[in-house]
Amino acid sequence: MPPKQVQLSVANVSKSFAGKNGDVTVLDDLSFSINESDFVSIIGPSGCGKTTIFNIIAGLLEPDSGTITYRGQEIDSLRGRVGYMMQKDLLFPWRTVLGNVLLGLETRGVDPKEAEVKAREYLKQFGLAGFENAYPKTLSGGMRQRVALIRTLIMDPDILLLDEPFSALDYQTRLYLEGVLKDAVQTYKKTVILVTHDIDEAVALSKRVVVLSGRPARVKVVHEIDIDATSPVTARNDANFATYFKTLCAELDIQTEKTA
Amino acid sequence: MTMTIQTGAAIRGNHKPVRTRKRATFDTTLGRAFLQITAVAIFFAVWEAGVHAGYISAFLMGSPSGIFAGFYNKILSGELLVDSWVTLFEAILGFVIGTIFGSLAGLALWYSAFVARLVEPFIVAINSVPKIALAPIVVLWFGTGLISKVALAVSLTALVALIAAYQAAKDSDVDLQSLMISMGADKHQVFFKAVVPSTLPAIIATFRINIGFGLVGAVVGEFISSQRGLGHMIFTASSLYDLNSVWVGLFTLMIMGFALYYVIDVIERTSLPWKQGTTSHQVQV
Repeated sequence: MPPKQVQLSVANVSKSFAGKNGDVTVLDDLSFSINESDFVSIIGPSGCGKTTIFNIIAGLLEPDSGTITYRGQEIDSLRGRVGYMMQKDLLFPWRTVLGNVLLGLETRGVDPKEAEVKAREYLKQFGLAGFENAYPKTLSGGMRQRVALIRTLIMDPDILLLDEPFSALDYQTRLYLEGVLKDAVQTYKKTVILVTHDIDEAVALSKRVVVLSGRPARVKVVHEIDIDATSPVTARNDANFATYFKTLCAELDIQTEKTA
Repeated sequence: MTMTIQTGAAIRGNHKPVRTRKRATFDTTLGRAFLQITAVAIFFAVWEAGVHAGYISAFLMGSPSGIFAGFYNKILSGELLVDSWVTLFEAILGFVIGTIFGSLAGLALWYSAFVARLVEPFIVAINSVPKIALAPIVVLWFGTGLISKVALAVSLTALVALIAAYQAAKDSDVDLQSLMISMGADKHQVFFKAVVPSTLPAIIATFRINIGFGLVGAVVGEFISSQRGLGHMIFTASSLYDLNSVWVGLFTLMIMGFALYYVIDVIERTSLPWKQGTTSHQVQV
């Protein structure tokens, strides 16, 4: 294996918000790094500031202190270069499926004809041909989230930020979409940071799992996941799966006891 | 103890058949129209009978036969058509101008939270003035012709549209805006692609209210001073105790408002195809 190149590193990032009873420190001196073509899951107790990390990387929030380095260069944020996907599909209800997929390319000022050809190609590839002119509310939750994934991928982002993207879906749909995601990430060679509360999902999809402590968030431990499976379903059958699962559960449990 | 095993028939016997709710016999388009027309016919028949029997004063209330005769004469003389057209034109012009400028101003306030906070008390203050009270000044400023009526209609409609558009822009989904920002969109793109489309349902909803306000502005303007229009017709007729002509004017206004309401309905349905079907299922109680 070639030596792992660091693509993105977050160093000593702190962020606090003004609350009713004074400032609440959400991130305190948080540091981690993401390799090229990495698939990192971030898990941690709820409310520990996982979404805040994403908002800082995506340029929606400014950190109080700390630096973000991207391929050796210090940057403010990756605004415009990340693909952000959330639990809500955030499809624009007044846009058709095609219109939603085109949103990012329009924003970027890509030639409309070129963009449409590309969008139709992507829709076909993800099995949504024939739904180009459908409005989001006529689609199922799984299909909507697939459209959101296409909208994200078509922008060819440097890094995908996935914030519990499948947690609102039923289990079968989630398994299916995890597979779609895994394939897409391999096809397009994308780096992924996935925030999830689902340990199962984290182990099945990731190369590494970062465990955060309760608020303020600090990196507690990083696990390399050594499962070489072709799909998230087969990953769950891997001999090592149960061990990772148990270890991570234990780590999260200890923290919930401490913070409870 | 004996055990009873329920047979299929017994189980079925315990079940109440699922009953689909039956619609009332007359609950069809034709049936409803029949009932509605009958109700109106009975209303006028009682009125007419009351006038003939001497219970109702034709002088103070008018009579249906007199009203129909009035309609007939005014249509023949072309008077009704001209007056209707004048009022309709004033109302629609005022509605269109007021709604467009009001909506644009409301949307523009989204751009600067500072300006919005600054002007908010002024908007509330202006909105709290009964606009009808402006009518005499408006006539002084804009004369007795078309412009004063349009100005009055604009003053009534613009603030409704402004407040609705601003509120809708403020309520526009922040997550959709964040998503666009993470894609690298600038403020204009967020405004035109995320904020404006999301406000359209609220803005179009004001059309319904504002088309009525447009008519109010036109008619009140005509009351104050005018040469033509349904408001003029009603005002002059009532000062001559010609109650039948007053009713002709009122019923014409009613028909006009009714028609405009349906025009707005069509506009609403065709301009927001992505909204369609959300209200088609009604909960049966």
